[in-house]
Amino acid sequence: MGCVGFVDRRTLNRGRRARDQPRKGDRAMAEEGAVIACHSVDEWSQQLEQGNESKKLVVIDFTASWCGPCRMMAPIFSELAKKFPGVLFLKVDVDELKTVAQDWAIEAMPTFVFLKEGTIVDKLVGAHKDDLPKKVELHMPK
Amino acid sequence: MAVPGFEGFEKRLELHFSGYDPLGLRRLSIDDLQQVLDAVQCSIVSAAGNHSFDAYVLSESSLFLYPHKIILKTCGTTQLLRSIPSLLRHAADLGLRLRSCRYSRGSFIFPAAQPFPHTSFSDEVLFLDARLPATLRFRKASIMPSDASLHSWHVYSAAADLFSVLQPSSSTIEVCMTELDCSLARQFYRRNGDHRSGDDAGAEMTELTGIGGINPRALVCGFAFEPCGYSMNGLDRDRYSTIHVTPEDGHSYASFECIGGREVMDYLKKVVHVFRPGAVSVCMGVTGTDDDEERVRSAVVRALEPLGLSCRSRAAEDFPGAGTVTYQTFTAHRK
Repeated sequence: MGCVGFVDRRTLNRGRRARDQPRKGDRAMAEEGAVIACHSVDEWSQQLEQGNESKKLVVIDFTASWCGPCRMMAPIFSELAKKFPGVLFLKVDVDELKTVAQDWAIEAMPTFVFLKEGTIVDKLVGAHKDDLPKKVELHMPK
Repeated sequence: MAVPGFEGFEKRLELHFSGYDPLGLRRLSIDDLQQVLDAVQCSIVSAAGNHSFDAYVLSESSLFLYPHKIILKTCGTTQLLRSIPSLLRHAADLGLRLRSCRYSRGSFIFPAAQPFPHTSFSDEVLFLDARLPATLRFRKASIMPSDASLHSWHVYSAAADLFSVLQPSSSTIEVCMTELDCSLARQFYRRNGDHRSGDDAGAEMTELTGIGGINPRALVCGFAFEPCGYSMNGLDRDRYSTIHVTPEDGHSYASFECIGGREVMDYLKKVVHVFRPGAVSVCMGVTGTDDDEERVRSAVVRALEPLGLSCRSRAAEDFPGAGTVTYQTFTAHRK
């Protein structure tokens, strides 16, 4: 809908758009239905804030490059992001964002955290191919 | 002849490697891993990893991947040893050198149902000898306490050096339990009309049966199979633990395995409490002197006697480059 530039994000979120429509001009929405990897604490905080304000379901994949089970789940996480563009899928590498991983007490990987408006509504530790899609559908706004 | 039931007794393979890469085996791709498991005829059910290792719950038991160590444990009629050629190939591709191999198992409840090379211990030994590289010069195969016993522990080891690769002050304990208490075993059946995932039902079984309380520090990944059966992997820092249950009456079986220090005796007591088996065998892999071996055996007896279990047999053997293995069998005073 044209370039938005520096418009106050809060006015965009007034529910004018149909559910699940991506909003052009949203930061880091380069690709519709893609997993957003957070590479800095700032980026992480911004994505979280955006997610919380939008009232979207936010699903975070805490992952590590040296962890086989994480690699197993990566394609499934990406597929879910494509399938549910109205859900915010974030990826955090626990080595890259050590402090974030510590703050969120991540001990085993992958850990999937489900957030709604800043509250943790569910958590899934480990690679569970069937459970992850089920939980996304369970917590998605209806 | 009656149709054999599900064989609970596992075959266990442990391989140690050396290499400069601190990630080592953890670099194996999921495709490569699946290829290894295809040869064994099992698949990945769920998985989790921490800073020290990756743990996989399989359709028939478990797999633990450390940077320089792999433990693969499978039950039923899986052909565990067939994993060796592709495992060695993938490890070599990663620049890893094989240092030692240990293969072990108890006595099958349904030996006639096992496919080659698991048809007999001699078949397994021949198969291993042929497929391990000649650099593993120190080899030994033994049946403890003797091949005349009903319940034996079969061990094959092959090592490149005489010094053990096992960490000092930590031991591996493998507990095999049969004739499980029926009412306790029934907790490992799925309820009719329960459509939850195996992970969710497994998590409930972990709590309700007391398995979650064995080591409260560990992250437990439990899975409940249809119509019955349960598997779990536990992750606690660099220590794995694993439990597998075949609850069917007539050939019920449960196994517990972990690596640890003195607390392992505590776990042993709790595990026996969970299953109240009629017969138990305890195998420990230790490093150290003869004193340690005697100390370990006494500790096991001290842990189990108060629970109504009497020691029926005991044996210990040294395996060059692979540590000492102690094996004790116990039966309940009264069924």
